[in-house]
Amino acid sequence: MIACTAPRVVGVGEFVVSTSDRERLVTYALGSCLGVAVHDPVAGVGGLLHLMLPDSTIDPVGVDQPGRYVDTGVPALFRECYRHGARKERMVVKVAGGAFSNRVFDHDAFQVGRRNLVALRRMFWKNGVLIHAEDVGGCLTVRTMSLFVGSGDVVLRVNGVDRPL
Amino acid sequence: MPINVLLVDDSAVMRRMITRTLQLSGVPLGAVVPCANGAEALEALRVSRVDLALVDINMPVMDGEQFLDHVRADPRLAPLPVVIVSTESSPTRVQRLRQKGALFVHKPFTPELLRDTIHSLPGLAHDPAAPTPAPPGGDLDF
Repeated sequence: MIACTAPRVVGVGEFVVSTSDRERLVTYALGSCLGVAVHDPVAGVGGLLHLMLPDSTIDPVGVDQPGRYVDTGVPALFRECYRHGARKERMVVKVAGGAFSNRVFDHDAFQVGRRNLVALRRMFWKNGVLIHAEDVGGCLTVRTMSLFVGSGDVVLRVNGVDRPL
Repeated sequence: MPINVLLVDDSAVMRRMITRTLQLSGVPLGAVVPCANGAEALEALRVSRVDLALVDINMPVMDGEQFLDHVRADPRLAPLPVVIVSTESSPTRVQRLRQKGALFVHKPFTPELLRDTIHSLPGLAHDPAAPTPAPPGGDLDF
């Protein structure tokens, strides 16, 4: 097992790509937001993205932070991984988040979690990417997602309990 | 060794979607033999060697369950792995199909569910070292 350095935090609406096999990327407080972890085991490249919303066209001034949106964040994450030698056909993709923002499904007026998931699935389908593992949905579920760059392992913390994804 | 797949669905759109899922699934894919109903599929089985059949239920001419019955009744075809991909919602019918040795994927499905179902079949377990083929080019974002 590779000893990891202090975790590198991926903020809301941000993404980080790393080639350091001692690094752990972590993003907190995934509610309706989505965490997307990608890893190319051959190139040793890992990336973690914390998406907020499905569509960047609602926010013309937000283009400087592509990681906020599915339609800009996912391509940006993959392209940055390619820049470090990753290849799409080797990428292992894991997704977490997309929870409902209320205890009752019908009371979640904006359905942000569901819309994020639909947009992400559409983006992946169009670009020929299948998800290897996911932990999505749920009501008022808050997840912390960690990616170990060296191994590609992803660990979720949900309600204080860690489990592998 | 590449596997040949018999794909039986009266919707051309669904056949395209399932074919694309197969291409992305990491299964070593050989030929995909498309058919629009069970009768066409039985005819195709007469002349083609296939390793797996993905079959809708509700189709004209001959439905998927009748097709499955013909396959299971023919000693030459009986071992063929069959995955039913259907909107069928009757638990009784789904149970009956399972008893006839078919796996079941409910429409609408995610491509990942179909991939995982195929990988659960003997001899088709996913090889993590095998790269997933990239889809044909075109209007891609990344």
